[in-house]
Amino acid sequence: MVQINFALKEVNCKVVFYGPGMSGKTTNLEIVHQKAPEENKGELTSISTDGDRTLFFDFMPLDLGNVAGMRTKFQLYTVPGQVYYNSTRKLVLQGVDGVIFVADSDPEKMDENVESYANLIENLEEYGKDVRELPHVIQYNKRDLPNAMPVAEIDSRLNKFGVPTFEAVAYTGEGVFPTLKTLAAMVLESIEKMDGKAPRRAAPAAPKAAPAPKQAATLDAATVPAPAPAPAPAPRPRGPARPVGARRPAPPPHGAPRLRRPIPAGAPGRSAARSVGVTRRGAAIAPVAAPAKRGSVGLVVGLMVALIAAAAGVAYFVYGTPQL
Amino acid sequence: MLEPHSMSQNQRLRHDRLTFYKEDIDQIDELLSDFLRLSGAKCALLIDKDGHLVTKRGELCTIDIDTISALVAGSFAATKEMARLLGEEEFTAMFHQGERDNIQLSLVGDRTLLTILFDDRTTVGMVRLYAGDTAKKLAAIYQAAMQRDPSGSQLHEAFGTDAKSKLDNLFDS
Ligand SMILES: Nc1nc2c(ncn2[C@@H]2O[C@H](COP(=O)(O)OP(=O)(O)OP(=O)(O)O)[C@@H](O)[C@H]2O)c(=O)[nH]1
Ligand SMILES: [Mg+2]
Repeated sequence: MVQINFALKEVNCKVVFYGPGMSGKTTNLEIVHQKAPEENKGELTSISTDGDRTLFFDFMPLDLGNVAGMRTKFQLYTVPGQVYYNSTRKLVLQGVDGVIFVADSDPEKMDENVESYANLIENLEEYGKDVRELPHVIQYNKRDLPNAMPVAEIDSRLNKFGVPTFEAVAYTGEGVFPTLKTLAAMVLESIEKMDGKAPRRAAPAAPKAAPAPKQAATLDAATVPAPAPAPAPAPRPRGPARPVGARRPAPPPHGAPRLRRPIPAGAPGRSAARSVGVTRRGAAIAPVAAPAKRGSVGLVVGLMVALIAAAAGVAYFVYGTPQL
Repeated sequence: MLEPHSMSQNQRLRHDRLTFYKEDIDQIDELLSDFLRLSGAKCALLIDKDGHLVTKRGELCTIDIDTISALVAGSFAATKEMARLLGEEEFTAMFHQGERDNIQLSLVGDRTLLTILFDDRTTVGMVRLYAGDTAKKLAAIYQAAMQRDPSGSQLHEAFGTDAKSKLDNLFDS
């Protein structure tokens, strides 16, 4: 949910890359991290298995800078695409403001695309959200595959609501920015429309949550419906198709190690040989002092270790806190 | 409280944004500063459940706030899901113990997480004692803010056009 913070003078939006396993969500984020100007991007943090499959999410803040007096930021997340990880995938969707659905153009993956899109709709419903009202776009990735399914055909199977679509070859960077730019514009437009009808309430929430991942009624009134998506061009990939590396037929749920395509210049690859890893790659958004970054790593890793411990059932939960 | 499925469209849209005004944040900041003084903790972050920072107090120079906020929210969400599976409604607090630094998370209201970082200059007992108290007071601030008329702060009308040009700068450069 868009957070508008008049005290910090910030607008924060949450964007999620969704789609079936191996469709290229993490690759999209890696490219954004690689190509975004230094002053606009924060670190890329990945919580993944040793096979580089996303386990919980990848995360990267992208700072648009000062927009009419408000520092406007997108928090970019990817979900784990594997069917097995639906519980964590659903958690990442909490409070989402815009979705980029990354579909795989491989004809053999068409059922997975359709299933994942249905899963998106279902998970959004659990948060009381209707996909038709949520800014979202679809990216047809892996257009370099020699047997890539014709766009019109995928479109007829997948794009039920006629949202903007983009062709991409994520690992070359092709189509990555146009996809994100259009989605970002749709999200910002939805904020503007909501704001047109005056914000109402101040701080958060009535006490005591309802069970399950549903959200409780709160806050400011916004009375304008979400925007209809603007039609957008689908850029055709330019240049020679690359040979396809390391694709395997049916990846096991926990991801065997696989080759990563080389990410050019200076971007350290994902860490290898850890059963569960938190990988971080640098870049600082302005007010976070650059030299301080190292210091934060231990803390973050500490936090994640604790999270993992929690997952193993060892965490120490405190019950005694007052009911709010 | 309304269930999302039974809401009208307007009510649902009301969910779609979380707005914080300066007068409320000022009060919250004051409360957090008091808390830090009393408890001896290093810093306090108030983070919304979607992983965005609401406000912060204390020694924060070495922390990547965006990432911490995302991880805290993710970690809390995962714990909450575990609670649900165990038949608990929600764990209202979590504690992560490190060798030197520790993190205590408490749920405030139903949308924000009070995140306290502390080290061996204080104890978990002290932190928990004052955190509980602070969480109650924060909840009271939220309640009061809900009752009050909105302060009228609004996004500048140029937000939309300025956003477009900033997007052009960022993505077409
Ligand atoms: N042929 C081809 N391969 C691609 C393209 N984009 C990404 N890949 C490859 O697809 C594989 C999976 O990419 P990821 O980005 O890790 O996929 P993901 O969607 O994050 O997968 P999960 O984390 O399991 O959900 C990697 O080997 C990528 O190099 C593309 O445009 N064309
Ligand atoms: Mg991934």
